[in-house]
Amino acid sequence: MSTDLHTLSGAYAIDALSEEEAREFDRHLEECPACREEVRELRAAAAQMGAAEALAPPPALKSRVLAAADQLPQLPPRVSRLEAVRKRRWSAWLVAAAAVVVLALGGGVAVFESQRGENQSGFAATVAQVFQAGDARTKTVQTAHGSLTVATSPSMGRMAVRTDGLKPLSGRHVYQLWAIHSGVPTSAGVVKNLRAGAAMAMPSRGTTVAITVEPEGGSEQPTTAPFVRVDPRSV
Amino acid sequence: MGEPGLRLVPAGGGADVDVLVGRVARGDASAFEALYDELSSAVFGLARRVVRDPARAEDVTQEVFLEVWRKAARFDSGLGRAKTWVMTIAHRRAVDAVRRSESQKRQDERTAPEEVSHDEPADAVIAAEEQGAVRECLETLTDLQLESVRLAYFNGYTYSEVATLLEKPLPTIKTRMRDGLIRLRDCLGGHR
Repeated sequence: MSTDLHTLSGAYAIDALSEEEAREFDRHLEECPACREEVRELRAAAAQMGAAEALAPPPALKSRVLAAADQLPQLPPRVSRLEAVRKRRWSAWLVAAAAVVVLALGGGVAVFESQRGENQSGFAATVAQVFQAGDARTKTVQTAHGSLTVATSPSMGRMAVRTDGLKPLSGRHVYQLWAIHSGVPTSAGVVKNLRAGAAMAMPSRGTTVAITVEPEGGSEQPTTAPFVRVDPRSV
Repeated sequence: MGEPGLRLVPAGGGADVDVLVGRVARGDASAFEALYDELSSAVFGLARRVVRDPARAEDVTQEVFLEVWRKAARFDSGLGRAKTWVMTIAHRRAVDAVRRSESQKRQDERTAPEEVSHDEPADAVIAAEEQGAVRECLETLTDLQLESVRLAYFNGYTYSEVATLLEKPLPTIKTRMRDGLIRLRDCLGGHR
């Protein structure tokens, strides 16, 4: 770690770098856990300094903000830092690969990794790894759209699904994965390539994984009933 | 960082911002409204301080809350508190706004007095506690540390602009900025 670069953490934490410098420091942060921690702490201190300027906004602003949010779709969870680092490292491979999505489940975070089934390196190995784990339990379910195979491995703390038994949909529709907790579905990503399969950390107890057919691009909330729903703990 | 169990709790028993953001992540509009009630003063106050123009500060505040709404599912509670996350977005947005407009005109505000009053009744209790600690802690910074931090944080200058304004070498400002924030962090940690 360059000491020189490291001392930029203060300026970085309060947005006092040029865009170019900030990007460079972003890259540095990926390699430097101590710097990330420092930036977090300095930002927390700066946030308190900022919050000390509290001043009530005009009351009319509230209804404007709430109305605008009402019209605005929310983004799905994103790749974790670790996935982001890998993504950069293996960017060439990933360009050809499907989406990587992180799924927040209650307090925990699970990672869905969608990939080409034929690629046996990198992410792709994770689906295969779950299926091949010594303690893997698998279950194949027949659905209206074909068969789906689920594997769980307690030793890896992961689950994986194989989607290559599902029938391809017309270009206008996609399969979308959901994690459902307490009746609330959270998008876990769109299946872009049926041969890809998906792997994720074992969801928390009480969370089921479901698949629906959605318009191309996916939906914020399911627009059709799930055609399959799996409790990973019953596999 | 202080003991997690000892962190400052708003006197009014305000809703837990971390919990609210978790609910917002699941599309809960009432949680979003509660979050707005909880943090709009902090966000607007900071925006107002940085961009100065009240109408633009409102726009920034709206942008901030819409970003929070959009990205709530991406907030990672393992990386810090939700309030810090929101205030970081607020600062980023405010600084972006001021830098955009600065390409048109930049009044030199380095010695501008605070024009914002802090006597808003709704937040008086919470704000007073936070303000007291922050003010006390800012007093522990050296003049150059304080000046560097304030020019960057409240006026939106980059550290190299700060160096030019203060006629100091770049490495000096870079270091003072970091040292100042570290001192602030350590002092605020002791206040919890």
